[in-house]
Amino acid sequence: MERAIEIVKKNQIENSQWQKEATEARDSWGWMKYSMQIALKVRSIMKSDGITQCALAAKLGCTQQYVSLILKGKENLTLETIAKLESALQIQLWGSSS
Amino acid sequence: MKFVDINGEKIWSVIYDEESVDALTKLFRDWNDLDFLEEFFTKNSGDLASYFRITDIDLAIYDTLEDAHELRCVILDISPDADVDRLFRHLENSRIAEMLLGREKARGRRRVHDSWLRIYALKLERNTYLITGGAIKLTRTMEEREHTLAELRKMEKVRNFLIEQGAVDIDGLKDIANDGKSN
Repeated sequence: MERAIEIVKKNQIENSQWQKEATEARDSWGWMKYSMQIALKVRSIMKSDGITQCALAAKLGCTQQYVSLILKGKENLTLETIAKLESALQIQLWGSSS
Repeated sequence: MKFVDINGEKIWSVIYDEESVDALTKLFRDWNDLDFLEEFFTKNSGDLASYFRITDIDLAIYDTLEDAHELRCVILDISPDADVDRLFRHLENSRIAEMLLGREKARGRRRVHDSWLRIYALKLERNTYLITGGAIKLTRTMEEREHTLAELRKMEKVRNFLIEQGAVDIDGLKDIANDGKSN
């Protein structure tokens, strides 16, 4: 019989994913929260208006893959991209909240 | 079953045999995944409305993102001399009366309404915790929904593994309570 912590240490493996991912996420939160808000708004509009990713990509002049990335909320969007989204979807994104 | 040190041997996380990442990493990936959150809150919209009076799924998603950010910072900011016991608390509504290993739940700070994020862990000893998983808890008890019930099963699985490996008595799950608010 031994302490549980000793058993945990015996079965320990090296894995720094948590620290790395968490630090990156924390450092990115300042802009990512806005990207997430925009993504939520765009997703909502696309759903309500029946707009597909391909259709939006065509309007934006980009690939469907890039639209998919935008919709994940983890892209550091340029002002130009935000303006294009607003124009394509006829909504206000800049300065709006979820 | 393997384990990883999250923070100075005070907080550990389980890597289940069927998973490629540890429980804590997977948890925060889900809590930052808009597809996952949209599916979850759509599926559990009834509970969201009943217990939290929230009908806006997007609001629920954004609240989750904010709370996840706070919890992430709490864990990242744990100092070497931190009293980690202060961050956790015992479950008071466990149905298992006599357990070799106790259980407690984690809760993040929520300024507008109580946070529904939970990080579950087994207390290995004083100031030392093993994270087994977590959940978005929208009901009063874990037993009410399959996804939170699954977390209870994970805790038992990890506890049983430790016992099978020869562990002596250890306390159970604890909360990460930023402000000590109860459910």
